[in-house]
Amino acid sequence: MDNSGGRRAGGRQWRFGPNDVLAGSATVSIREVLGRVMANIQEDGPRPVIPLGHGDPSVFPCFRTTPVAGDAVVSAVRSAKYNCYAPTIGVLPARCAIAEYLSLDLPYKLSPDDIFLTGGCTQAIEVIISVLSRPGANILLPRPGFPFYESRCAFSGLEVRHFNLVPERSWEVDLEAVEALADENTVAMVVINPGNPCGSVFTYQHLAKVAETASKLGIMVIADEVYDHLTFGENPFVPMGVFGEVVPVLTLGSISKRWVVPGWRLGWIAISDPNGVLKETKIVDGILNFLNISSDPATFIQGAIPHIIEFTKDDFFNKIIDLLRQTADMCYEKIKEIECITCPHKPEGSMFVMVKLNLSHLEDINDDVDLCHKLAKEESVIIAPGGREITRKIKTREEASISSNVF
Amino acid sequence: MDNSGGRRAGGRQWRFGPNDVLAGSATVSIREVLGRVMANIQEDGPRPVIPLGHGDPSVFPCFRTTPVAGDAVVSAVRSAKYNCYAPTIGVLPARCAIAEYLSLDLPYKLSPDDIFLTGGCTQAIEVIISVLSRPGANILLPRPGFPFYESRCAFSGLEVRHFNLVPERSWEVDLEAVEALADENTVAMVVINPGNPCGSVFTYQHLAKVAETASKLGIMVIADEVYDHLTFGENPFVPMGVFGEVVPVLTLGSISKRWVVPGWRLGWIAISDPNGVLKETKIVDGILNFLNISSDPATFIQGAIPHIIEFTKDDFFNKIIDLLRQTADMCYEKIKEIECITCPHKPEGSMFVMVKLNLSHLEDINDDVDLCHKLAKEESVIIAPGSALGMKNWLRITFAIDPSSLEDGLDRLKSFCQRHAKQNK
Repeated sequence: MDNSGGRRAGGRQWRFGPNDVLAGSATVSIREVLGRVMANIQEDGPRPVIPLGHGDPSVFPCFRTTPVAGDAVVSAVRSAKYNCYAPTIGVLPARCAIAEYLSLDLPYKLSPDDIFLTGGCTQAIEVIISVLSRPGANILLPRPGFPFYESRCAFSGLEVRHFNLVPERSWEVDLEAVEALADENTVAMVVINPGNPCGSVFTYQHLAKVAETASKLGIMVIADEVYDHLTFGENPFVPMGVFGEVVPVLTLGSISKRWVVPGWRLGWIAISDPNGVLKETKIVDGILNFLNISSDPATFIQGAIPHIIEFTKDDFFNKIIDLLRQTADMCYEKIKEIECITCPHKPEGSMFVMVKLNLSHLEDINDDVDLCHKLAKEESVIIAPGGREITRKIKTREEASISSNVF
Repeated sequence: MDNSGGRRAGGRQWRFGPNDVLAGSATVSIREVLGRVMANIQEDGPRPVIPLGHGDPSVFPCFRTTPVAGDAVVSAVRSAKYNCYAPTIGVLPARCAIAEYLSLDLPYKLSPDDIFLTGGCTQAIEVIISVLSRPGANILLPRPGFPFYESRCAFSGLEVRHFNLVPERSWEVDLEAVEALADENTVAMVVINPGNPCGSVFTYQHLAKVAETASKLGIMVIADEVYDHLTFGENPFVPMGVFGEVVPVLTLGSISKRWVVPGWRLGWIAISDPNGVLKETKIVDGILNFLNISSDPATFIQGAIPHIIEFTKDDFFNKIIDLLRQTADMCYEKIKEIECITCPHKPEGSMFVMVKLNLSHLEDINDDVDLCHKLAKEESVIIAPGSALGMKNWLRITFAIDPSSLEDGLDRLKSFCQRHAKQNK
């Protein structure tokens, strides 16, 4: 077969060139999108940059993680017992601790064998998309959603079909659309709850309908619960695994958000599937095989997990949630004062809110991307463009900084 | 298109099933192969298991890492400055420190922009194989080699062609074979130096010829230097990047082996390519794009790197090397006492040695895999069968364990061989 992939450089022909799929996969990623927005920041701007684009409050002292977490990691490092390679699936004590932790909110018990440690929720997504990708298969993703799913699907060649989250219905899943989109090649649907980017928290009833719909279609539900427990409105957090007997659920989670340590790269896949469907259909084998040929989270961070989970006090969790409630409220109220922006649904979970741009109120702004680029340039404020007439805004910021922000 | 991938479970049809390529990719991995060997260990065996199968001496006190490393990580954690997401390519201070560290042994200077942090050398391999995979392309891998390359190639659909390392020539690359194997679809060749599994350390002259050959063929060299500086014989460590002006070199490295912290998962890809070929051919862009859609090493471990590199004393490095020299010698001498096993080349680097099995001296042992399984069962000693690395009826032995355990393990191996020796010759 002809090598159409070789490239010229330094005045001669070389036989190598990059994988053609990569450029397309990476361009849609949030990192890239925000990178392009941030490129507009004026280097010599006198004001500090206000980062309302990404979900990482760890740099702010008020959001600092509990000392319990740092102590646990330090202790694990000092023990010198965790400098070794970990087992592929993760060290047993961590898997036990996570199984117990997740089981607190489920009507059945997870075993450590149902838990697989990953490098953050990021790698959990890599794993499951890679495992599910087969020629001709498709997956249903929410819109608006988290673009990392789209990136990994593009890279793995898994066809994406989007169902809408409906702003007028608290960003609930349009289940009729899901049924219309699915066909015999659909393998799964992804539900992000609490929601990124919408800040929604689905009710028990809605999740029950999601489960029922997925089961009827013969597909699994991938429940991205990286923001688990970060709710501060009316609706409590209900894990999708609660419906694990109705439909097989793959729960993705991490310590990144609840403990505010996204840089620690410790996440998991939990098989929330008491009927053992994911085992019988060899999906679990697929996960094992993929982990066998992939890198793992640092062993000593795995080793610290039991201590972190056992000794973190509710005080800390409540403090973070109170802070998020406060900043979410502030965000919602201030948005109301801005004519060209509307917020269809007050955020009640996660770290984000989706707001709609009314371009007819603005002079010389073409679209959301244009607004974000100009905002970065003129005001040193970073916001993520929504891809339609929608903008994603983070609300985890210190009060003083937000009130000094001028639109 | 028909969904032939759905599967039945719980008495009904479901539409999902696993990626077909995965099972094949994982089976050949060292983890899986050793897992199958270890399954033969007797649970109630009275003697401790002697692990001569994998390259991880971190559990042994004599191999413990320098306190400088732990201190650096603790300091980074306590600072609370590294709980955040890191930039895709890795935090700048770490990239600067690694660029300087690697440049010490090169005739040119690497910039921090030439360094990309990865989750161990493992992820560095994932990255580069994924980036190079294109329909119809092929890559040249050494045999015997490190099966993780084969696994990732299988997963990415990159065709593998093997060139031999020649035991009689200190495990050097068979360059004639390389030239014969390469065609217009060959994108790269992989060189592991110091060598896993052979324990070889290539001379400057040999590496120069490798570079020349690769350049002639228009391919890049992927230099897996995860065992960099771990040499204790005659030949010094020469980084492939020394020849970066002859041929573009992608250097893969990690703190895992030199600092004995494989569980920390901190590695790198270095673009050792002063002519900028990898940039111009968009390979660097490919690496960036892949990293953009992948998980990263823990930020605080990245943050600890400058301190680790700057303050680790030569004492510590020398101590580890002396220990490896001692255990490599012991291993080589004890193998000489075992009739059915020969070692063609005394190991002088890395943590492994390849030895050849002479089955005609043994009764009722079918092949290397059979020997390893029976050895695990009868003597609680783990050794990796060479067929997992492309050499049937060879064995890969780790000498990177504490000396008294090594002695015990080799004695048990000898005893096993004597017990299974053919009675009438």
